[in-house]
Amino acid sequence: MNGRFAVKTRRSFVQAGALGAALPLSRLLRAADENPRGDIGRSGILVFLGGGPAHQDTFDLKPQAPAEYRGQFSPISTNVPGIEICEHLPRLARQASHWSLIRGLTHSLADHGLGTRYMLTGNLPTPVLDYPLLGSLVSYELPAAQELPTFVSIDRPVEGPGYLGPAWGPLSTGEKPRYGQPFRVRGITLDGTLTVDAFRARRSLLKDLDTAFQDLESEDALLQGMNQFQERAYRMISSERSRQAFDLAAEPESEMDRFGRHEFGQSMLLAARLVEAGVRFVTVLLEGWDTHQDNFNTLARQLLPQLDQSLAGLLGRLQDRGLLSSTSVLTVGEFGRTPRINGNAGRDHWAQAACALFAGGGFNVGQVIGRTDARAEGPEEQGYSPDDLAASFLSGLGLDPQREYDSGSGRPITAIRDGRPIPGLLATV
Amino acid sequence: MIHINFVRQATLCCLLLTLVWPLRTAGADGPKQPDFQKHIVPLLGRLGCSGRACHGSFQGRGGLRLSLFGYDFQSDHAALTARGTEGPRVDLRSPDSSLILLKPTLGVSHEGGRRFEENSESAAILRRWIAAGAPGTEQPAVLREILVEPAEVLFSSKLVEAGLRVTAVWEDGSREDVTSFSRFRSNDDTIAEVSDSGTVTSVGSGETHVVVFYDNGVTAVPVLRPFREVQGESGRLASDTTAKGGSDSPLDRMIEERLELLGLESAELCSDSEFLRRASLDATGTLPTPDEVREFLADGRPDRRERKIDELLSRPAFAAWWANRICDWTGCNPAQQAELGQETAVQWAEWVRRRLERNEPWDRIVGGIILAGGRADGQNWLEYTEEVSGFFREGGRERFASRSTMPHYWTRRSMQKPEEAAQAFAQNFLGIRLQCAQCHKHPFAPWTQHDFREFSRFFEPIKFGVPPESQAAYRELAGQTGLQIRDPGTGAAVTQDLLRLAQQGRTIPWRELYIEERNSPISLSLLRSGTVTLAPDQDPRGVLMDWISRPDNSWFARSIVNRIWAAYFHRGLIEPPDDLNPANPPSHAKLLKWLETDFVDSGYDLRRLHRLILSSRTWQRSVRPAPGSPADRHHFSRAIPRRMPAEVIYDAVKQSLASTEQQQAVRTDLTRRAIGDLSMRLAGTYAMSVFGKPERAVNCDCERNNQPSLLQAVFMQNDPLLEQRLEESGWLQQITVDEATGQLPPRDKLIEDAWLRTLSRLPTDRERRRAEEHLLGAPRISSGLRDLMWALLNTREYILIH
Repeated sequence: MNGRFAVKTRRSFVQAGALGAALPLSRLLRAADENPRGDIGRSGILVFLGGGPAHQDTFDLKPQAPAEYRGQFSPISTNVPGIEICEHLPRLARQASHWSLIRGLTHSLADHGLGTRYMLTGNLPTPVLDYPLLGSLVSYELPAAQELPTFVSIDRPVEGPGYLGPAWGPLSTGEKPRYGQPFRVRGITLDGTLTVDAFRARRSLLKDLDTAFQDLESEDALLQGMNQFQERAYRMISSERSRQAFDLAAEPESEMDRFGRHEFGQSMLLAARLVEAGVRFVTVLLEGWDTHQDNFNTLARQLLPQLDQSLAGLLGRLQDRGLLSSTSVLTVGEFGRTPRINGNAGRDHWAQAACALFAGGGFNVGQVIGRTDARAEGPEEQGYSPDDLAASFLSGLGLDPQREYDSGSGRPITAIRDGRPIPGLLATV
Repeated sequence: MIHINFVRQATLCCLLLTLVWPLRTAGADGPKQPDFQKHIVPLLGRLGCSGRACHGSFQGRGGLRLSLFGYDFQSDHAALTARGTEGPRVDLRSPDSSLILLKPTLGVSHEGGRRFEENSESAAILRRWIAAGAPGTEQPAVLREILVEPAEVLFSSKLVEAGLRVTAVWEDGSREDVTSFSRFRSNDDTIAEVSDSGTVTSVGSGETHVVVFYDNGVTAVPVLRPFREVQGESGRLASDTTAKGGSDSPLDRMIEERLELLGLESAELCSDSEFLRRASLDATGTLPTPDEVREFLADGRPDRRERKIDELLSRPAFAAWWANRICDWTGCNPAQQAELGQETAVQWAEWVRRRLERNEPWDRIVGGIILAGGRADGQNWLEYTEEVSGFFREGGRERFASRSTMPHYWTRRSMQKPEEAAQAFAQNFLGIRLQCAQCHKHPFAPWTQHDFREFSRFFEPIKFGVPPESQAAYRELAGQTGLQIRDPGTGAAVTQDLLRLAQQGRTIPWRELYIEERNSPISLSLLRSGTVTLAPDQDPRGVLMDWISRPDNSWFARSIVNRIWAAYFHRGLIEPPDDLNPANPPSHAKLLKWLETDFVDSGYDLRRLHRLILSSRTWQRSVRPAPGSPADRHHFSRAIPRRMPAEVIYDAVKQSLASTEQQQAVRTDLTRRAIGDLSMRLAGTYAMSVFGKPERAVNCDCERNNQPSLLQAVFMQNDPLLEQRLEESGWLQQITVDEATGQLPPRDKLIEDAWLRTLSRLPTDRERRRAEEHLLGAPRISSGLRDLMWALLNTREYILIH
């Protein structure tokens, strides 16, 4: 008579990092276990278009709308008959068979901070609980191999691990890779003055000096955990495998052409390398979409070409290396933009309509799901919420969005409480 | 019946108890006339029907929605007697055709599977209830208490199983055996397991509780199994351990009595250097300096530890560190302040710090927060707004800190909804988590939604804005200073531009905390502690303050005593420390009660409480268990290593690397310390989030996270911030200069200093040799020393409080 119908005790929730009641540390240690990736491992990449891209100027064009709404761009056809996207996204258009486009994504938080938090956690922000980033949920469930971080943010974390606790936060690289320049990853890259050999000598000194608790170690999960983390950190910093994963200099010029030499292209190339090495989750930021002014020039000259080149580059590369089917890629911003063009040739915040692009493993591709009204003001029917988006993404990665976690606040929290996977999006296995 | 030993808390005696009262209930088939509240709702709870995964979920299941954890009798009755899509849920004419019988017996398909058999007692009870017309509950009966026998269970190698019997006592005095309607839960199933029918089975050694739920009653039954047992004469449990030297501290005595009962031996006291480091970090959030360590180790006086404790408790860093903790517990979050987040959060912390420095009683400090007002008595709005403007000028910091009250607690954006204020208030000052009761009956406490709603209404009239009589003056001043306002009632936040005017001597318009008049008097129930009638213009916070400081309100003292205990040990006597509820009883009830009473009797003397803990043998135990004793983590037989909190690490690294001349300043300048003013500035930075400093955005002490992680190890080994600290180390720079000028101190002295700066002890011979070897192998002594400091900062001994 036990099981899911019984009164839930603290232990029967999934234990998160925060609470001292049981031994969440065992969870941390699990992450440190040998877990060679092999090809069964799943990974996720989140490309976040910070600022809120104009949905009607990217993936949801309305050429029939009145002039003050429709914008300056024309739609082009894609390699899937019937699907059209912006003319400035020609490479992605040729890859439409690799992605699934969601139109009519909708919510009501037209503020950058709140909208971002909502979109990246899949839970309506509240003052009483900090929800974890999707990447934190993924790293909690899918720990990476020893010498690699599980979750990497290029270049900064947009949100935090929330109630899961700091162990599940991202390693932030601290800067974006720049073409032709050395790239330092915060905490991983050794300072120019410190060689790997010198670092090894330090480490050997540390090993000989960190002996005060050796006799207690077998009884104490905290001591064991710290020891393992110390070892893993050392390997991440000193190992070939991890340094190579972060080393873009190893890439041929042809790949630079493919991804682009701009920061975003280099960041996407880095994301690809990290996933290839076995990192589980990578977030990449492309900012500048907050186009209150000069929307069309900004998009046409800078943002759309970069997005087009680098995202297409990423999907192409993952495909070439046989990793597209095990990597789920989500591209989204915090909201869309006002249907009517403002006096500065810009568009303002608009949360009622936005788009998202799903690609890779776990999803049915080559389709558009959902539609907005004639002026792209909102979804035609009820649309899809950020909660649905998150539930879909986690499901695509093979995770259960309804799984419960112990938030440490005394009640179990469902990962994505109000979201349901978007119908038709998930690939049936 | 099974032979059962009972344990009175912390005594060695055991009794044999027989059940004495005659019970009104029926035999094996349950009650003859099942009652909706007393039998049907508890039965559905026990069967799991009203659980979260089933019909208790907010969407319901299969069209049927029951209130989560029961206690909404009217809506549950309506739902159960309504017609389902597949037929009547309750069929009075033909009870066996009722869906509530057909579904759970799989007579009709049921997503929840089979819950009971057709010929079971559960089925019989439901059938009888339907046959009697399926009556509901008009006015819920009041449960006085639930009694569980045995009241305590002591397991041994001979006794590994015990049955619990639960008796409900209703307000009218009637009693009923409700064992088969109760739910049971073990708080630690590595020690004891409990079956659905209330049979407790011993699994391992140690102590825990089995919690019993019935109606809105919750009772916890202590269950204990010794690690080592020696059967003495006449069935009395004895132990071969003897308390080590009788302590005159009741604290130690109560801990040791329990250890004896468990057959655990307590560890030796820690060494002097361990004591100094631990005391300094725990009491003041600060590492001792090398000089301090040397002096202390040379101090031969027998009372040197007591002297050191007194000295530590009088340091400014003590007040700063604990003000920082109180800011955690009360939610001092720059991002949630109504305006000028950094400035007001620092004012808040400083206001608390001044009071801790003077050892002001806890109830007075809390009174100054809870009863805070905008203006002082007799002050008009212009005088008020001039006074507040002055807080941001020369000397304003002191003037704010000497205000009798501190309004920023209430003015935060997160306190503007009464429901949110009610939850925060209960968690901050009473350690009670009410949030569950906002949407359903609290699963572990007696709180119902009704209790929560009534309690929330106390907070309705607490407003932040511009009271009606001040709006004209406010608007005028806003006009003069260029502050844009949309609504004169809500006013507008002071911006940095406006703040500059204030700093230049202008008076600028400030909003204020005030009490809005209600339309009529209101009577509200105060979390089951009686009903209060508030006059329309009455400040409800006076009532709240009176209530929490009443002698019979044990939460107020208990929550702070337990939080402070939890900060000195690896766990609270109640754990989690901010979750006081009947299903989460203290591990040492008698001790906690004693500490609470002592705290209240001493006039809420915080420093006395700190001293009691710091000077106890219990807190001064070594981390190493007594030889042959198991490595206990739950009973305080030894110290458990804990990771330094985020701010403490940040400050410690700075101090360890500072030049000898700077060491004092680095410690004592609180405006530059992460445990002081920088606490606010650093919140949310990479270093602080990696080490789990709370943003204070959530009503939960668990927001501070002291678990280790991979990113922390990466940070300590190679973060640019750490490299920068090593690079800029005043001490290492001095040594570089000394080396270049041929004035290098002896290597042995440098090595000793490195240890004292980091691990607060002298190196062992083996460590000296290893360090020496490294220095000699390095290109220069100074660079070798930099490696040595890196290594010492990365040892677990450094990052842990032990």
